[in-house]
Amino acid sequence: MLSEQQARNLIDKVISFSRLPECQVDVYWTEDVFIRFANNGITTSGYRITQEVSIRSATGDKREGSSVVTELTDEALKLGAEQAEQLAAISRPNPEYMPALGPQKYLPLRNFDSFTGSARGDVMIPHVKAVIESARQNQLTAAGFIQRSANAAAVGNKAGLFGYHTYTESSLTNTMRTAGGTSSGWASQTSVSLKDVNGETAARISVEKCLRGAGTRKKLDPGKYTVILEPAGVSDLIGYLGWSFSARAAEQGQSFLSKQGGGTHLGEKMFPESITLRSDPLNARLGASPWGPSLLPNQPIAWIEKGVVKNLYYDRFWAGKAGKQPTPAPSDLVLEGQDNTLEDLIRSTEKGLLITRLWYIRTLQPQTLQLTGLTRDGVFLVENGKVTDPVTNYRWNESPVRVLQNTKKLTQPVRAQGAEAGASIVPAMVVADFNLASVSDAV
Amino acid sequence: MKITPVPFSLSRRSFLLAGAAASSRLAADKLFGAPGDTDSKPSPELEKLGAVALAEAKKHGATYADIRINRYRNQYCGYRLSPQRGSNKTDEVPFVTDQQSFGFGVRVIANGQWGFAASPLVMPEEIARITREAAAVAKANSALLASPVQLAPTKSYIDRWTSTFEKDPFAVSVDEKLELTHHAAFIVKKAPKVFSAFCFLWFRSEDKYFASSEGSSIQQYIVQGVPMLEATAVDVQKNISRTRRHQIEPASAGWETVAKANLLENAPRISAEVLEHLAAPPVKPGKKDLVLLPSHLWLTIHESLGHSTELDRALGYEANYAGTSFLTTDKMGKYQVGSQRVNVFGDRTNDRGLATVKYDDDGVRTTKFPIVEKGLFKHYQTIRDQAHLIGETESRGCCYADSWSSVPFQRMPNVWLESGAREVTPDDLISGVDDGILIDGEGSFSIDQQRYNFQFGGDAFWEIKAGKKRGMISRVAYQSKTTDFWQACDGIAGPGYWQQFGALNDGKGEPGQSNAVSHGCSPARFRQINVLLTD
Repeated sequence: MLSEQQARNLIDKVISFSRLPECQVDVYWTEDVFIRFANNGITTSGYRITQEVSIRSATGDKREGSSVVTELTDEALKLGAEQAEQLAAISRPNPEYMPALGPQKYLPLRNFDSFTGSARGDVMIPHVKAVIESARQNQLTAAGFIQRSANAAAVGNKAGLFGYHTYTESSLTNTMRTAGGTSSGWASQTSVSLKDVNGETAARISVEKCLRGAGTRKKLDPGKYTVILEPAGVSDLIGYLGWSFSARAAEQGQSFLSKQGGGTHLGEKMFPESITLRSDPLNARLGASPWGPSLLPNQPIAWIEKGVVKNLYYDRFWAGKAGKQPTPAPSDLVLEGQDNTLEDLIRSTEKGLLITRLWYIRTLQPQTLQLTGLTRDGVFLVENGKVTDPVTNYRWNESPVRVLQNTKKLTQPVRAQGAEAGASIVPAMVVADFNLASVSDAV
Repeated sequence: MKITPVPFSLSRRSFLLAGAAASSRLAADKLFGAPGDTDSKPSPELEKLGAVALAEAKKHGATYADIRINRYRNQYCGYRLSPQRGSNKTDEVPFVTDQQSFGFGVRVIANGQWGFAASPLVMPEEIARITREAAAVAKANSALLASPVQLAPTKSYIDRWTSTFEKDPFAVSVDEKLELTHHAAFIVKKAPKVFSAFCFLWFRSEDKYFASSEGSSIQQYIVQGVPMLEATAVDVQKNISRTRRHQIEPASAGWETVAKANLLENAPRISAEVLEHLAAPPVKPGKKDLVLLPSHLWLTIHESLGHSTELDRALGYEANYAGTSFLTTDKMGKYQVGSQRVNVFGDRTNDRGLATVKYDDDGVRTTKFPIVEKGLFKHYQTIRDQAHLIGETESRGCCYADSWSSVPFQRMPNVWLESGAREVTPDDLISGVDDGILIDGEGSFSIDQQRYNFQFGGDAFWEIKAGKKRGMISRVAYQSKTTDFWQACDGIAGPGYWQQFGALNDGKGEPGQSNAVSHGCSPARFRQINVLLTD
């Protein structure tokens, strides 16, 4: 692990090579261990160290240049600093340049777990074994991935700013398939601590989904359905929503928060009372960073509070132009939930579809935030409060804005991660009128 | 090579003179030599480092080992021109960055199992340590071995190879690059109704060294260029925005990619077309004939036929992430995926292809092979450790890792569609359409995990009525199923219209990796495809 002192030394060294008025150095260091498995056996796995020093320099007249090096010898760092400065010297003034920040007070975050940071194969293989044994016992085929990383990030600049932060991440995902490829079930666990990962539990969920899906799958006509989205799917949709809170995009007619004819929806009640979405970098369950892209201290902020659009994301430049205080960037998202379980949601649904997760999501229109994507690894009919038959997968064309507007009921939130966005803390939810556009034959 | 220390200077002129030589002090430069080196053999320094891993692996019981010592360079520069807050004035924002990544990865087979480890400290002691780590990983994992790894045989090679380029893009001054991108973006933004303009140049290089315990020692250098020019228009009254991009083929090539793009000549067209797109009426949805230009069709080829014919997907190795494939192994050689006109090749040898290389990351000499022949699915993309699983005796050279720190695995070669008869023109395709759409460029794209159901947008759409191209329309997406779509292909333009578009960011694998790949094709026509009106 790159220690705080080592990080500080690296940054000081780069700055000592700098001759321009401004120089910012970002250092990233990661050690990760991963095991990939498929067809009931380990396929590829590895142990690796990666490191990167990113150097950004600026002249007194706002010309910027940057370089990235991975060699950390004095010579390489000197060269990196020189290269950034030479590029700055050759570039043109940036009218949106913001002067360097001085020392900041960063919040201490507790998202480094030393057990996770030192775990190797002996800790991880038993989880893989549990998944594979569970597959074999049920005549299924397992594929999956378990990983952990120990990360250090540091930042410093010529104006005296310095930050250092360590965090760990871990996850186990697994997919169970029937021998003939007629059904697929998936489960995921993601946490800053590998202690929260449990192969037996993950396998139990994916086996159950796979076996439940093994019957004849119903092919319902495309159309609008009440759906119960499990947290992995909600996490992806919320990720897309979070990326759309830029004040600049909203004010300039390029987001769902832009108002027809000009202006933004800031302060409007766009969503039901039950919807509160915030960034929570203090949440120890997320791999948050004490600073954001602007290097201002990260802090909790509500984007939607009880259905009202509470804040837009102002970076330092745009905030200066708008006469506002800059805000943290949307990250480490938490969507608040209600005191229900997934079973409660199923029990309260007369007719609907239970959706395990979403796949291959892309934006169609930024102003409506209409997305397209597919369902994957388990869609089930819910009738009169019970899960009944398996159903085919679907392509859907839908907007997370409408999804939140049509949300009827939520569970308690959990940390989840889907296929597209990073981890967030989100509930499962019942959503009315979700637009399933066409059947997908994929399993 | 010659090492030339350069005195520091801030003047633009001295930077131009010093820029190329300044990087010569890096350890990586000392190892890899200059791009223009004409040696036919790998650098002896690299071979010495490689030998450390191979010897250490043998000592620790490995039955196979390889090491890749790689250095990557990415240089991005360009301009964004966009309006100031609450004003019609334009901010012209330049950016320039030059990024390097250098390190090594060691793969071993021990106890019949793969092990991998990687580090950025390219020195003998660390190579030995990391090789021991890789062996330890393999031995630990052999407890859960489904079946021992079997490698299809390959010849061993001692060679040095460089991708084709006329002019080293890194030797062109950043000053010239900024000047050009600013000028192109400025022309696009000149029309007052254009909201913003964005132009950038991305140059990427890979220095690759591969040594294996089977006697191969291969040094390769690849240069790629991606120019981009885009306009955005916004109608605040209607609350809509549209973009339009100058369609440029990214290529394994040098500065000539930029020259060929004619950015300045195309800037006024992009500017006019984005405004036409903004005002264009919405499509009337329904079944329509589509004429797809190479700038668009490449992505449909990639998603539908490229990914479905990856052997690792068909075998279930990607089941937990990218997915499997509707083309199961029992369908090889027997299954009609498209019409008789559809001939598709996997090819890592073709000129300027982004996946083109002489040897893959298994050390296998790359090839060209048929994937689809007259509509029939013929062959998968394969690598050494999977070929035997479908009864094949050699790899088709499709192994790639996107970094020194990534595990090599099966990645897509250039997958290209053979052009139609010489005399067929795009106008011929259009003249045969009564009610259809001509589509240029990529838009949104999405396909399921077995590659059946897809939906594609585009960058620009023109209505075709009674055999004639009419005005632009908007809000178009089409949905189809891979086999239905390729069965509906009834016309492909001739070789004179064949172009090779692609991307450098094709994702697959866990941990995720990016692959660069091209998909050449001529304009082609598809009958009665389901067209949607997007919100």
